[in-house]
Amino acid sequence: MTVNPFEALGVEPTYALDLAVLEQRHRDLSRALHPDRHAASGAAERRMALGRAIEVNESYRILRDPVRRAEALLALRGVATGEGKEPPASSAFLMEVMERREVLADVRQNKSEVALDRLIAEVRAQANGVEATLGREFASPSSNSTEILKRMGELRYYRRFLDEAASIADDIL
Amino acid sequence: MLLDIFDPKAPPQAIGIDLGTTNSIVAHVRDGRPVPLTTCDGSALLPSVVHYGVEGSVLVGQNAVAYATRDPERTISSVKRFMGRAANDAETTRLGAYKFVPGDASVVRFDLGKLTPSAIEVSAEILKSLRQSAVDQLMQVGGAVITVPAYFDDAQRQATRDAGRLAGLEVLRLLNEPTAAALAYGLDKQENGLFAVYDLGGGTFDVTILLLDDGVFQVKSTGGDSALGGDDMDREIAERMLIAMGANSQQTRTAEVVSIALEAARRAKHALTDAAEVSIELPQKGGGDVLFSVTRADFDAWIEPLLARTGKACRRALRDAGVSGSEVHGVILVGGSTRVPRVRSYVHEMFGKEPLSDIDPDLVVAYGAAIQADLLSRSSDEVLLLDVLPLSLGIETMGGGVDKILPRNTGIPAGAKATFTTYADNQTGFDLHVVQGEREIASDCRSLARFKLSGIPPLPAGFARLEVNFHVDENNLLSVRAVELTTGISQSVEVKPSYGLTDDEVEQMLIDALDHGESDFELRRLRDAQVEASRILLATEKALDTDADLLDEAERARVEQALSAARTAAASARTASVVENAISALDDATHEWAGRRMNRAIQAAIAGKNLGTVEQSVAHAAGIEAHLAKHGER
Repeated sequence: MTVNPFEALGVEPTYALDLAVLEQRHRDLSRALHPDRHAASGAAERRMALGRAIEVNESYRILRDPVRRAEALLALRGVATGEGKEPPASSAFLMEVMERREVLADVRQNKSEVALDRLIAEVRAQANGVEATLGREFASPSSNSTEILKRMGELRYYRRFLDEAASIADDIL
Repeated sequence: MLLDIFDPKAPPQAIGIDLGTTNSIVAHVRDGRPVPLTTCDGSALLPSVVHYGVEGSVLVGQNAVAYATRDPERTISSVKRFMGRAANDAETTRLGAYKFVPGDASVVRFDLGKLTPSAIEVSAEILKSLRQSAVDQLMQVGGAVITVPAYFDDAQRQATRDAGRLAGLEVLRLLNEPTAAALAYGLDKQENGLFAVYDLGGGTFDVTILLLDDGVFQVKSTGGDSALGGDDMDREIAERMLIAMGANSQQTRTAEVVSIALEAARRAKHALTDAAEVSIELPQKGGGDVLFSVTRADFDAWIEPLLARTGKACRRALRDAGVSGSEVHGVILVGGSTRVPRVRSYVHEMFGKEPLSDIDPDLVVAYGAAIQADLLSRSSDEVLLLDVLPLSLGIETMGGGVDKILPRNTGIPAGAKATFTTYADNQTGFDLHVVQGEREIASDCRSLARFKLSGIPPLPAGFARLEVNFHVDENNLLSVRAVELTTGISQSVEVKPSYGLTDDEVEQMLIDALDHGESDFELRRLRDAQVEASRILLATEKALDTDADLLDEAERARVEQALSAARTAAASARTASVVENAISALDDATHEWAGRRMNRAIQAAIAGKNLGTVEQSVAHAAGIEAHLAKHGER
């Protein structure tokens, strides 16, 4: 996507976005751009509105997602991102990862919804902590992209873990 | 005024249609309120049953139901279950009386001897009947909104839209049934908050979680099962009835016997809504009758596995929305199957509150469709429906896996790009397989289309870069475009939908269906073009009233000239192409201006609201939003 998602939604390019404000903005823009609003217009205008509405929706999806929001900010700073671009994780983090993997494997085997919900809540809390750190890093005038990339790697891991947990939840629900 | 070409006393009226598995309904908005129109049966509900006589007659509704046991193979009910499917699908071959034309992998065709109507054509017969009822009562029928289960995939939606076109309807919009129900309730109750719509129809189950906030209906998540409904409850009873009747083997289960059991099962189910026990006399194999008794407790136990499947879908939808059942402000019941007492108590237990059912669950979807049709045809801005993609869209990878391009519950309209490269030197073609579903393996998902990209310049492997663009429009319909990036040339994309009919096939069927073929078809095209033109002329005039300042003098003259040419063409042209050309010239003349107007609208949306309103509405939304934020939407 070549569009700057912060511009598309008319918000400041910061990491610590207020998601409630973002949602309200998305809704206001949808009111102006949704194809239903242009149903009576000519084909060209309908196509244009559809394209803009898609841009706004895609931008909203990017900004709502903690990893993609960070990627979008780094892209504005000219820093390349993506898996493999991040520095290797610390050994403490890797230890934590392995322990949680074991718990997840147990949950999968025992089909325990309670244990799964607890695990998901724990990992979410961890992820929220990393997001708060990222917010401070991005806001700091001396922010260091190596540190940011490291945190993003952690977030990416948490997200994958949560995706996996969600698909297990689908199976055991 | 262009509208003068029609009877000025009867401007075209938009209609809403609930094309249901068991019953179909057409409604419209009169004096600001949705009302059902009377169908050919003399009531609001038209049974979705079509009978094809041997001599070529087609009956719809009660008249067709009368043939259900006498002539089951030629009496098609629950056709919705066959939409967008193939004859060899597991779903297609379940307990039922039909024979299918073998070999057609892309569409279900019923084998009725000389006639082999597809599921799309059978649905079109139902829609034609509803359209005729609307024409009889409203004189002029404008566009139609047709509802579909939220869980319908792209193939099922395309099939529904094609059925609408075949029935001669201008399909303004395909609307998700739960969203329609929420619209009917939301406008009625004027309440804000989080709502769940539990929609158990004849053949489909949907659950949708949505947030109502001052006229915005924002779908948070949707889930369900496109092969689960009241029909399955009937089958549970029928299966036991067949055994009681002595029809244990496949050979003894003739179309007629199965149809008798299904019909008796339906009656027993309806009776159990009020009675604690029912007894029904059934014909037995080898003559004589047998008395079959069933208590409500039996029935409740038999359907428990079906309810458990709805419960699973509900929990998943809540999880996807990032909320818990207790946060749901109200649960809306939709679909005739929610009349079953056990269904109501099950929903009550799951969400911990008495579900809402003060609008007739059989009519609520049609009401919502009528409201949306009315809003769209008036270009009203009171309400906005923000819906989501029900099932993930992806592309098959080299190893047979799925690369998800757009995940389920993405807000629509939506778009995404994926880049591919060639894997062999001088490779000039590329096959892409688009699938829909949540499974990890492509062959377990629904195949939507296969694309062949050709004309790639011969380059070493890995050098060519193909960018594939997916667009999902407001009807939840997918379109795909591809560009080869090294040359920048937009490549031809050969679309072969895996299911359904091509546009050419639909057009040919339309021509065939009309008495005078080509000439009638041309007349209809002209009429459609005129309707379209009148709408665009009005919109352009309205835009000139408000945004003329965005045009310089020369531009304005161009727009005015194109406008008056289009007006003349629409009023006097004899062929559709003259009108279409004039409209496309108007389109060209207004194109840049439209871009400027849209920018103005965006600026107004970002800055226009005064700060007080923004703060107020943000504070208002904070309850649920704060919660969603806390739970970190994925």
